[in-house]
Amino acid sequence: MVALLTIAALYFLLPVYWLVVASTKSSAGLFGSFGLWFSDSQWLHNLSQVFSYDDGVFWNWTWNSFLYAGIGGALATLLACAAGYALAVYRFRGREAVFKVVLAGVLLPSTALALPLYLLFSEVGLNNTYWAVLIPSMVSPFGVYLCRIYAEAAVPMEMLEAARVDGAGELRIFNTLVLRTMTPALVTVFLFQFVGIWNNYFLPLVMLSDDHKYPLTLGLTTWQSQADRHPELYQLTVGGAFLSILPLAAAMLVLQRFWRSGLTQGSVKG
Amino acid sequence: MNSSPPSRRSVLRWGAGAAGVSALSALTGCGQTVGAARTTRQESTRPGQKVNLVFWTWVPMQKTVDLWNKTHPDIHVEMQTIPASTGGGYQKMFSALTAGNPPDLAQVEYQELPAFMLVNGLTDLSSYGADELRDKYVPWQWNQGVFGGRVHTIPQASGPMGLFYRQDLLAKWGIETPATWAEFEKAARVVKARGNGARLSAFNPNSPAWFAAMCWQRGARWVHTEGDTWIVGMNDDRSREVAEYWQRLVRDDLVFVEPDLSSGWYRQLQTGQVVTWIGPQWGDALLRGNAPGTKGKWRVAPLPQWKAGQNASANWGGASTAVLQGSRHPREALQFAHWINSDPKAVDLNIAVGYGWPAATGVFEGSALDKPDPFFGGQRYNDVFTASDRAIDTSWKWSPTTDADFAHLGDAFGAAMAGEGTFASALADAQKRAVDDLLAKGLKARSQS
Repeated sequence: MVALLTIAALYFLLPVYWLVVASTKSSAGLFGSFGLWFSDSQWLHNLSQVFSYDDGVFWNWTWNSFLYAGIGGALATLLACAAGYALAVYRFRGREAVFKVVLAGVLLPSTALALPLYLLFSEVGLNNTYWAVLIPSMVSPFGVYLCRIYAEAAVPMEMLEAARVDGAGELRIFNTLVLRTMTPALVTVFLFQFVGIWNNYFLPLVMLSDDHKYPLTLGLTTWQSQADRHPELYQLTVGGAFLSILPLAAAMLVLQRFWRSGLTQGSVKG
Repeated sequence: MNSSPPSRRSVLRWGAGAAGVSALSALTGCGQTVGAARTTRQESTRPGQKVNLVFWTWVPMQKTVDLWNKTHPDIHVEMQTIPASTGGGYQKMFSALTAGNPPDLAQVEYQELPAFMLVNGLTDLSSYGADELRDKYVPWQWNQGVFGGRVHTIPQASGPMGLFYRQDLLAKWGIETPATWAEFEKAARVVKARGNGARLSAFNPNSPAWFAAMCWQRGARWVHTEGDTWIVGMNDDRSREVAEYWQRLVRDDLVFVEPDLSSGWYRQLQTGQVVTWIGPQWGDALLRGNAPGTKGKWRVAPLPQWKAGQNASANWGGASTAVLQGSRHPREALQFAHWINSDPKAVDLNIAVGYGWPAATGVFEGSALDKPDPFFGGQRYNDVFTASDRAIDTSWKWSPTTDADFAHLGDAFGAAMAGEGTFASALADAQKRAVDDLLAKGLKARSQS
C-alpha cells in the first residue's frame, strides 16, 4: 500500500519538481540540459526578470488573478451556501425542480457558456471590465449541490427551531448559526471555486482585451506565444508558471485543516 | 448594434485575388457562419477632436505604437496584447465581430484573411484610398489582402524561407551546400553515414504551414477559384511529389521525425545533431536565442531547388494589419496601418522586436537587418532572404477554411507516421475533407480533377 501511494505521489509530484528545476534555467539550458536536474542556476535572475519584464506586468496579472479568484470564490461560496441551505431546510413548491436545474448546471461545461455570456455582456457594455470575469465566477452549481447535501446532514432542525423560539430572524440564523456549522463545506467550495477561477482560461480570453486586466493564465499565454521571436520568454513563462502555482499550494496547505475536520464531522452526523 | 448587417449576397461576393480573377459569386449559398454585426462607417470629427483607435495584436509593438502616439497627437492608438493567432486571438476577434464591438485594428495572418472575408470581418479599404499605397509593398504580400479587386488589409511582414545550415559540420563531412533537393537528399545520406548519429534535418509531420510552403515552392496551388467554385488541389501532382520526397527521407531514416521549435529539437541544434533547418527569416532569433553556443557556425543559403538553376522560393508565416468591420474611424485606422508597416522608424522598432520580414519595399536597405551578423559568421544573411522574398510565387491563395485544412493535414500525416497510409494518401484525405468543409460552409467546391 505504501509503495503504491509512494508511486502515485511521485507521479503527481514529478511535473511540479520539473517546474521547480526548469524555473532556474536559461532558455538555452531549458532545452539543452537534462530536464530533471539543475544546470545553469540563474533562479534569482529569472525571477527578477519575470517581475520586471514589460514594466512589471506580471504583478498586474497576479493581482488580477487574486482579485478574480479571491472575490469570485468568496461570493460564489456565500451564494452557494445560501442556496444549498435554503434547498435543504425550507419546504417550498418547485424545490426539487430548482435543485435539478442547478444539478444540470454542473454538467454544463463553463467553456460552452463563455461565448453566449460574452454576447450578453457586450450587449450591456460590460465586456473588457473586471465584472465580465467576476460575475460569471460567482456562480457555482457544484457548490450549491455540495452545500445542500452538507446542510441536510450537518444542520440540525432542532437547532434552527430553538433559535426561532428564541426570536432570531431567518437572516440572523443564517449569519450566525448556519455559516459557522457549515464551515467545512464552505472551505471545500471555496477551494474548488478558487482553483477553478485561478486556472480559468477561456472566459477571460473571450471577455478581456486589455492585457492589464488579464489573469495569470492569459498573461503567461501571451508570453508563451511571443517566445517564438523572443526565446528568453520561454524561461520567463516557465518562471511565471512556477510562481503562479505557489498561491494554490499555499491555499491547499492552509485550508486543508478545516477540510479534514469537516469530513469527519460529516461522517459522524451523516 | 448600430446598423443591420448587409445582405449576405452582397457581402460575400468577393474574388480570390488581384491577379485578374474577377469577383466571385462563390459565397452565395446559405452558410452557417455568422457575419459581423456592425459595418464600418466613417464618423465625422470636429476640428481638434482626438480620435481613439483600439489595436489588437500579439506582436510586442508597444514602442512603435508609442512613437505613433507621440508624433500623431490627433489619433491615439491603444494597443492591447491578445493571445497569438489560433491560440485564442482569432476566436476573440470573431466573437467581437459577432457582438458588434470589434477593435478598429487587428493583427491577421495571411492564411486567415479569407476566413475573415467569409464573415464580412474586414473593412474594404479601397473605399478609403488604400489603392494608392500599392507600390509601397512587396507585390505578393499586397495581393494576399486583395479580394475581388478591393484592398482589405495592409501587409505587415512575412517569412521568406531559406536553408539555415551548420557550415562547419557540412565542411567536416565534405558536403557542398545543397542547391537542389536531389543534392539535399544525397547530403542527408552522407550525414547519416558519417555523422555519428546526426541527421541533416528534421521533418515535422505536424507542421502543415511548413509543408504548404514546400508545396508552394514546388509550384502547387492548394486552392483557386473558377467562377463561383472553389477548386481544392492539395493532392495535385506537384504536392504529391513533395510528399513522396519527404516520405522517402523519412523511410530511409535520413531525417529526424520530430517537431521543430520543440525542446528536443533545440537540444539537437545545440549539440549539432541537427545540421540544417529549412526555415523562415524570422527563425534567426530562434537559433540565436536557443542555441547560443553555436554562434558563428551557421550560414544561410537559398532554398534547394527542384530543378538546378531554378529560382523558386516559399514563405512561412506572415501577417497584416487589418481594419476590422465595424470601425468608426477607418480613415484614421488606415493611416495608422500604413504608417506602422512602412515608416522607416516604425519598421526599425518592429524589427527590433522580431516582427518578421518587412512587407514594405525599400525599408530593408540600411535597417537593422541589413548588416553582417556574427552569429552567421559575419554573413549578410538577410541578402539571401531579400532574394527569397522576390522569388516567391505571387499567385498562391489560401482557403477560407485554412485552419480546418491544417488540422486535417496534421491528423492525416500523423496517421501516416503511425503506419496508416502514406504522406501522399494523407494529401488525398485532407483534400477530400477540405472540400467537405467548404461545402459545409454553404460554398461551392470540388476537388481538382
